[in-house]
Amino acid sequence: MSQLHRALFISRKDIRSYYGKPPLITWALLFPAVLMLAIYVRNPENYLNSAPGIIAMTLLFGNTSMAAIVLTFEKRTGTLQRLLLAPVSSGTIILGKSLSAMLYGIATSLVLTLGLMLLLGMRLASPAPFILGLLLGGGIFSLLGLTAAALVREVFEAMTLMNFIRFPILFISGVFVPIESLPAWLKPIAFISPMTYVVELLRLGASGNSYFASPLIPALISLAFLAAAWKLTVFAFRRQAGQ
Amino acid sequence: MKTEHNLAAISVRGLRKNYKGVPALDGVTFDVKRGELLAYLGPNGAGKTTTINILSGLLPRDSGDLAVCGVDVAKAPVRVKQLIGVVPEESNLYPELTSRGNLLYVGELYGLPRAKRALIADQILDQFCLSDKSNMPFRTLSRGMKRRLTIAAALVHSPEVLFLDEPTAGLDVQSARQLRAHVRNINQRGTTVLLTTHNLLEASELCTRILILIKGRIVAEGSASEIAERLDKAKRLAVKLSGDVDEAQLREHCPSVMGARLEGDTFILDVIDTHSAIAEVVSFSEKRSLQIVHIRSATPSLEDTFVKILEEHDAGDGGPR
Ligand SMILES: Nc1ncnc2c1ncn2[C@@H]1O[C@H](COP(=O)(O)OP(=O)(O)OP(=O)(O)O)[C@@H](O)[C@H]1O
Ligand SMILES: [Mg+2]
Repeated sequence: MSQLHRALFISRKDIRSYYGKPPLITWALLFPAVLMLAIYVRNPENYLNSAPGIIAMTLLFGNTSMAAIVLTFEKRTGTLQRLLLAPVSSGTIILGKSLSAMLYGIATSLVLTLGLMLLLGMRLASPAPFILGLLLGGGIFSLLGLTAAALVREVFEAMTLMNFIRFPILFISGVFVPIESLPAWLKPIAFISPMTYVVELLRLGASGNSYFASPLIPALISLAFLAAAWKLTVFAFRRQAGQ
Repeated sequence: MKTEHNLAAISVRGLRKNYKGVPALDGVTFDVKRGELLAYLGPNGAGKTTTINILSGLLPRDSGDLAVCGVDVAKAPVRVKQLIGVVPEESNLYPELTSRGNLLYVGELYGLPRAKRALIADQILDQFCLSDKSNMPFRTLSRGMKRRLTIAAALVHSPEVLFLDEPTAGLDVQSARQLRAHVRNINQRGTTVLLTTHNLLEASELCTRILILIKGRIVAEGSASEIAERLDKAKRLAVKLSGDVDEAQLREHCPSVMGARLEGDTFILDVIDTHSAIAEVVSFSEKRSLQIVHIRSATPSLEDTFVKILEEHDAGDGGPR
């Protein structure tokens, strides 16, 4: 049986074990939903401008948190050792773990998106770049979450470590303000953040208004970030496994 | 899955491992033959778990050559993992999955076809008398059941070689006995077993050959009776006598006493044979009109014996045969 099969089995087990718990979904949705509502109440005409950023934020937090939880939790209980003892490569384990985290982040973001469409009348101008943004962003953020988890032992350590990255990323990536409106000194920094390209893909998908005219450039750059994140995770994972 | 039969099940050559410069394994060499049930005996911290972790690909080695069924552990770790089953020191199945769920998941990870997974899970639950617990989450099982299920999980993919790291640690006498029966059974069905323990009785009861590991070195090797013979030489008596007497006099008048030292007001005697030593001490004290306040056997703990063997080894008259 192929390693891909086994990666899917790993994901399925994680989904069964960790995602059945309703509070996880509720908490992941509560904060963005309230934020979105606050923006809508204050600015009913232009709330759509903020929607892609909030969806991307949900994706970022959902993926990184779930990835960190599935890995650090199993480190704590010693069950991660079972995967390390099984005839699966580290790539298979990382793929399995990131797929399940990705699914979680994408699912919560989709629920938020559906809520916005049904309750607030948000439209998807072109679904393809939107979905692409969710997939690529989900992949990148899950892998970053796994990397953080591989470097530490405890769940709270992983969360702390990730917050050092997540909040600056939110700040520099044109999440709450479009890139065009960012101050001149922040703009160049925005372009080194993977989040920027994910948000722009979501913008292209939702309103069609984006810094980029076509989804091609942000999609390709996101793909490059995904490849880099994969390399980083494999490196971090092998390092911790060798301790 | 059969590999060439003339190859040893496990072959370890000059294995070394340091933890931050402190040696845990200091040139370990041994073979385990196919179908053998070998005890890897040693006190706490000897390096037993380290050896198993390296053999099972969890830990990198510093130097040395390792092969399982002829497959190099360093070069083809995934292939080796398919050949071995490992029962770690701590029972570490998924607490949230049921007994059956755990076995099914292991079957998935080891690439068993779907129909076979269910069949084998039920078979193994039955074999380990856990059928009535098949739908209970692992975390709700008793310690002994957890241990059994962890062993069961290591057998799902019918490994050629099974590593058992202190399988009976923390079990009551009866559960430990049952578990040893399971282990014997597994071995009789053709699985090579490497079992670590610090329990000499367990090793001699279960295994045909014993390796003694101390401070990362193999210091003795042989059948249970050969090892027991060596340990027999290391009997000890604690004697408290009233009146004036010193170690030298005791040694002089009691030929069975090889060594004597005073611990507080009690003499600790290393003796060749307990019975004759007691008789000698009794007649010695009668002659000298001494009172025997107490006399009891103080046969050294396994750890003392290990240390003794280690000292012999350092002096150059012991060591692996
Ligand atoms: N991760 C680690 N970091 C540093 N030192 C370690 C580590 N693991 C083991 N050691 C050291 O290596 C030596 C061998 O340990 P190991 O766990 O292999 O012993 P053991 O024979 O399994 O003992 P026990 O019977 O207590 O399980 C010990 O001195 C131990 O302190
Ligand atoms: Mg140990």
